This record gives sequence, structure tokens and C-alpha cells, in this order.
Amino acid sequence: MSMETAIQQSCLDCVKRFDRPFCDLPKESLEDFNSLKSSGLYPRGTALFREGQLARGVFVLCEGRAKLSVCAESGKRLTVRIAGPGEVLGLSAALAGTPYEMTAELLDNATVATLGRKGLLQFLHAHREACLQVVNLLSQDLHVAYDQVRSIGLGRTRRPRASRVH
Amino acid sequence: MLSPYGLDIIESCLTCKTRSERLFCDLPGAALQAFENIKYATAYPKGAVLFVEGQAPRGIFVLCKGRVKLSICATDGKTLIVKIAEPGEVLGLSASVSGKPYELTAETIDPCQVNFVKRDDFLRFLKEHPEACFKVAEQLSEKYNTACHEVRSLGLSHSAGEKLAKLLLEWSSRNGEAAKQEPRFKLALTHEEIAQMIGTSRETVTRLFADFKRRQILQAKGSTLVIRNKAALRLIASNN
Repeated sequence: MSMETAIQQSCLDCVKRFDRPFCDLPKESLEDFNSLKSSGLYPRGTALFREGQLARGVFVLCEGRAKLSVCAESGKRLTVRIAGPGEVLGLSAALAGTPYEMTAELLDNATVATLGRKGLLQFLHAHREACLQVVNLLSQDLHVAYDQVRSIGLGRTRRPRASRVH
Repeated sequence: MLSPYGLDIIESCLTCKTRSERLFCDLPGAALQAFENIKYATAYPKGAVLFVEGQAPRGIFVLCKGRVKLSICATDGKTLIVKIAEPGEVLGLSASVSGKPYELTAETIDPCQVNFVKRDDFLRFLKEHPEACFKVAEQLSEKYNTACHEVRSLGLSHSAGEKLAKLLLEWSSRNGEAAKQEPRFKLALTHEEIAQMIGTSRETVTRLFADFKRRQILQAKGSTLVIRNKAALRLIASNN
């Protein structure tokens, strides 16, 4: 995406939101989210947040991709995954009020909607559909994280043990 | 009510004295009453398997008392302990929400009281009680944080010594011991289980413990471990 591309300012006019789990909200919730968020166009290489930094809020990737990585004290870096359009980044840290677990760095010029932590908590308390959606997203994130643990820690795919359970 | 495993079973969440200290359980009156109506209080002995990795999710398990080992397994039988769950945790949460198979195997390591809730009942409960939904989001956030910590530890640690030192420092930072010059804690796991937590062999863990003791970094008093030289352990943990 070029930096000249116009930013999709309003979520209400976004045609892609129907395909995106977090964005496909009821009208009232979407209007509220739209009034709370701010959108920006960020160049490739921008770090949206850094590991260890206290969570300020969440970042919804409208366009573009972001690399999520963790870093050791030695400087060695491990890319955990690549996030794509529609994903919400920094969700768990923003909810828990803890430092971000990873660093998110843009791989493309990207449009990002940001929502501060206070606004997010207020939004989720007011809109139960959004809160359910967030629970779903966090569950998906957790599945991915456990797959990473499995792949790094055991170097194998999941064992089909359930077939032996009655 | 006393159970066969010597547990003092908490029959009702409404009268539970510890719920205010627990992230998920501290629900408002109406939500708590609704939860009370859908949960089944059960007692398990040590060594009981609550659910198995790969199994379709039946529901959630709220751990009221005791501890549960959460592990993943490779095809060759190699096991990795992801976490030891403590009272107040909700197990099987992400699988029950998403409908995907359980990602982990949960096995009790103490006699436990567990409140089980069927998946359909739980999903309905979440839809009807936004406060509970928010608490579930908070629990999932914590679990995600732990999983990321595990990814970092497994993916970026250079040696088993580094991973063991990190684990011991983490354990020693609990129960108000963090600020002490020589923190102490009860070693509740076997060398085999510690090996499964850091992805190495039992022999390596035993060798490392012997090495740490020889270098006066650790001292064992029965099942209690004393960290004699925190600075040296930190140095090993930071791979220097």
C-alpha cells in the first residue's frame, strides 16, 4: 500500500469489516468504537509497541501487516507470527494492564486504528457483543500461542491422543 | 462437607470465602447465582485427568482447591509442562469458547475441588452476563501472557541452566520472598516434572541442581530450597 492511499476514516463506511471478526459489530457498537478510535497511516518499520512497555491501548490493523516478535536480553529476536489486516494487536496486555508481551513492527505502510486502554475498557463494559468478540479473539490468540509453544518446545505437531479417550 | 480425599468441599460459590480474591469468581450477585445454577462441584484425587489435548471441548473447569499440571505432548511421548495451575484458575477456557479441541492436557497433582460447567451452559452464561464475559477476557489475557512467556523462554534461552535459573527465580519471587536476600520456597515438583517444564531431561536437571549446590548458589533443606546467591543465579538466567 502506498503512503498516498487515503485513510478509511470511518469504520461505518468500511466495506471490509464484514469479513473481520472484531470489526463486524452491531451498528450501535460500531458507532461507539468509531467515535473512540483514531486512525493513522504509519510507514513500514514503525514499532506500534515494544515488548515490556506498559500497555497504552490496542491497535487494529486496517491495512498492512505487522511482525510480532519477542527478544532475549542478549538481543536475540524470535518472530512469533505475522499479523494481517483485521487483527487486533496488544489486546491481552491492554485488558490486563500489563506490559506488552511482544514487539509489533509494521512490515508494510499500514492504516491502523488505535484505541486507548481507558476507552477500550469503557467500550467493552458498554457493549457485550464486542466483549464476546474480544473473548473469541483472545481464545484464537491463545491457540496460536500454544501451537508456538508446542512447535518450539517439542518440535512436533499435536499428538492425536483424544482418539484414545472414551 | 468432607470428601474422600480430605478436601473441605465448598458446596456453594455464594458462601465461598475465597472468591473475592479470585479473578473469575468475584462476580456480581446475579451472575454468581446464575453460575451457581450451572456448575457441578466435583472432587478429584491426585493424578486425575480433567481433559486431554486434542479432545473436543466439553466445558470449563474452575479450580477451587489444589493444583493442576497443564502439559502438551509430542508423538514420541515427550511431554512439556506449560504451567502449574493454581486455585481460582479456569481451565479449558479458550477451547470451550472457540469450540476447537483442548490445546493441553490437565492432570491434578493434588486432591482438587473443581467446578465443572458444560460448554453450552457456559456460552449462554457469557452472553447473558457481560461482567462474567469481561472476567473471562481478563483470564484469557493472563493465560496469553503466560504462553508468550513460555514461547520466549523456550525459543530464546540458550541452555538448560539458563532456563532452570529463570524458573527458580520466578518461583522464589512468590509469597513475599522476592525482596529477601536469601529467598526460600518449597520445591513442589520432582526433577522429572521440572525437566518437563524447561524442555530438558531429568538427568540434566539433577546435574544442574548438584552444580548449583556445589557452587553455593542453592541450598536444600528437605523439600525447601534456599537461594544463597541470587546475583549468581540472575547471571546464569541472563545467559552471561
